[in-house]
Amino acid sequence: MSIFYQKRARMRIIILGFFFMIWLVGLTIRLLQLQVFEHPRLKTEVLEQNQNRNTIHPKRGTIYDCTGNILARSLPIQSVFFSPFKGEPSHLQLEKIKKLKKILNLSENELQNIYKRIKRNASFIWIKRKVDPEQEEKVRRLFLSGIYFLEENKRFYPHGKLAAHLLGRVNIDDIGASGIEYKYNSVLEGKKGEHLILRDAKKREYRFEILKEPEAGKDLILTIDETIQYYAEKELEKAMLKTGASWGTVIISQPSSGEILAMANYPTGDLNNPPPMPLLLDRNKAIHHNFEPGSTFKIITASAALEARKVNLNDSFDCSKGFIRVAGKTIRDHELFGVLSFPEVIIHSSNVGTIQFGQLIGEEIFFKTIRAFGFGQKTGIDLPAEEKGIFRPLDNWTNISASSLSIGYEISVTATQMLQAINAIANKGFIISPKVVKKILNSPDIATEKPYRRRIISERTALLLTSILQKVVQRGTGITARIRDYKVAGKTGTTQKFDPSIGGYSSTVHTSSFVGFVPADNPVLSMVVVIDEPKGPYSGGEVAAPVFREIASLVLRHLHIPKQEEQLNTIIAEGRLRQVER
Amino acid sequence: MLFVSCTIIVIFILTFYIWHQMESIRIGYEIGKLEEKVLTLGRQVDELQAEKSSLLSLDRVEKIAKEELNLVEPKKEQLVYDEFIP
Repeated sequence: MSIFYQKRARMRIIILGFFFMIWLVGLTIRLLQLQVFEHPRLKTEVLEQNQNRNTIHPKRGTIYDCTGNILARSLPIQSVFFSPFKGEPSHLQLEKIKKLKKILNLSENELQNIYKRIKRNASFIWIKRKVDPEQEEKVRRLFLSGIYFLEENKRFYPHGKLAAHLLGRVNIDDIGASGIEYKYNSVLEGKKGEHLILRDAKKREYRFEILKEPEAGKDLILTIDETIQYYAEKELEKAMLKTGASWGTVIISQPSSGEILAMANYPTGDLNNPPPMPLLLDRNKAIHHNFEPGSTFKIITASAALEARKVNLNDSFDCSKGFIRVAGKTIRDHELFGVLSFPEVIIHSSNVGTIQFGQLIGEEIFFKTIRAFGFGQKTGIDLPAEEKGIFRPLDNWTNISASSLSIGYEISVTATQMLQAINAIANKGFIISPKVVKKILNSPDIATEKPYRRRIISERTALLLTSILQKVVQRGTGITARIRDYKVAGKTGTTQKFDPSIGGYSSTVHTSSFVGFVPADNPVLSMVVVIDEPKGPYSGGEVAAPVFREIASLVLRHLHIPKQEEQLNTIIAEGRLRQVER
Repeated sequence: MLFVSCTIIVIFILTFYIWHQMESIRIGYEIGKLEEKVLTLGRQVDELQAEKSSLLSLDRVEKIAKEELNLVEPKKEQLVYDEFIP
C-alpha cells in the first residue's frame, strides 16, 4: 500500500475515532443525566405509571342472631376506577367516561366530579363504587384502557328491614353509621391491608405482592331472636296501621338476663335500599326517644310505698270524687270509683288513689326509689347515643312534683328504661342492665359491656307487686293483655302529651303504653309496648295491651312454654301473697 | 472408568436437582391455585349462606305459605308442646 493510502486510512480512522468519542461522550452525558441527575424524578414517574399500591379492604364481621341466623354480612363487590396514562389527552379520557355513563347510570353530578378530577390530572378517579355484577361484566367487555376494578365489600342484610334500627347501617366506606354497626364498628371493621401491583410498559401485571395482610373483622352474636323480632315487627306494624299512630316501639327481653330478644320500631325501612332520609333508620325510638310514662310509672310509686311500708294491701283510699286538688291544680281519674283498696288503685289505675298513697311515701324516699329503678340515667345498653330521660333533682321539685311523678308525669323516660324497671319486678327485686350483644366470636380478649345486677327492692315488695299486676291483667285496665292459659302481669299507661302551643297537656293527643311479663310466676319474657299519637281509641288498654297479647302469645308458642293450669296458679299466687303479707 | 462413573453420578444428581426444582415450582403454582380456589369457594359459601338466609326470611316464607300454599295459622287447641324450654 502506498504512503498516500496509508495516510488516508489513518485519517479516516482518526475521524471515525473522533466521532465515536463524541458519540461515547454524548452517551455518557445522557446516561449521567438519566441515571444520576434526573433519576429521582424519572423513578417517580415510572412508579406512578407502572406501580399501584392499593388498599385491601378487610371483610367486615358478620352479625348473627342468638340462633345463628345471619343478620348482616359483607360480600365482595367490585368498584370501578380510572387511572389515566401519563400525558393522555383529556378529551380521550372524557370519551372513555362518556362510554360508561349509561352502563353505570352516572348522574350529571357524578360526571361533573369526574371531569373536575380529570382536569386536575388526578391519577386515581373513582367512577362508580360497588357496582352490580351485570354492570361490572358490561364494563369489562369494553376493554377500556385505564379503567380498572377494585374489590370492596358491600354490607348485605338478608332480612331487609328486620331489626333495621337495632342493626344500624354502614356508609359507603363500610364504616358503621348507626346502631350495632356503629357501636361495635371497631370490632366489626377489622384492619386494612395493602397490596402492590407492578406493570410493564404495556400495562401488563407482572408482579403482585401483598405488603400488609388485611385482618378480617370479628363476628358478633346478638341476643336478638330473629323469629321473635319478626313477630314483634309484624304485630307492631299491624297495630300502627290500625291505629294510624305516628310511631311505635316494642322491646322484648328475657328478664333474668336482661338480654333483649327483640327491638322493633315503626316506621322502618329496608337496610339494603335505605330510604332517601336515612336518618329514619338512625333514630331508634326505643332508646332515643323520651316520653312521659303516665300510669305505667304507678308501678314505681307502688314499689316505693310498699318498700317504705307506708301502705298495706288492706289500706283504702277514697276516690269517690273522681278528682284531687294538689297545689291548686286538679287531677282527675279516667272514670268514677268509690273507695278503693291499695291493690284496686293500681288495678283500676286510679290517679286520685295513687296520688294519695304517693303523698305518704315522702319525697326523699320516692326520689331515691325512682333513681334506684334507673330513671334519669342511662341503662347502659350496648347501643349508641342512648338517652337518659329527664328526671329533675330533688332540689328542683315543686310542691306538685311528688304527685305528678306518682302518676308518671314531670318525668321523661325511654322505653328501655321502662323495660329495665319491669324486669326488676319480674326478677323479684333485682335490676339488670339490658344488653343486645351476647358474644364477640373468636375474641376472648374483647369483652362486651359488663352487665350489672343489684337488688333495688325486697323480694316481698316484688312479689306483692307481681300479684297486683296480675290482677291488672285479670280484671283491671290491662284485661286486653290477657293470654288464655298463661298468667300475665302488666300495667297500662295512657299519657296526655304536652302541647307547647297551649302551654299544657293536650286532651286529644296521647301516648299509649303497656309493660308486662309472662308467665307471672316464672317470667320468660318481658315486654314494653309504646304507641304514640294513636287516632281513635287511645288508652293503653285499647291500643298497647292487645299488641302485648298478640306478640306474647306467638313468642310463648315459639319458645315452647307449656300452658299453665289457671286454677292451680291462682291458688299458688294467692297463697304466696298471703304468705308474703304475713 | 471412575471418571465415567463420576460423570454419570454428577449428571444424575444434577438431573434430580433440576427435576426437584421444577417439581417444587410446579407444586408451588398448584398450591397457589388451590389457595385461590379455597378463597373463591369460601366467598361462594359466604354468598350462598347469605342467600339462604335471605330466602328463609320469615316474611318471605309466610307470604309463600299463605298466598301460594294456602296454609293457615294453627288453632290453639291444635298445638302440642313436647318439651319445656325455659
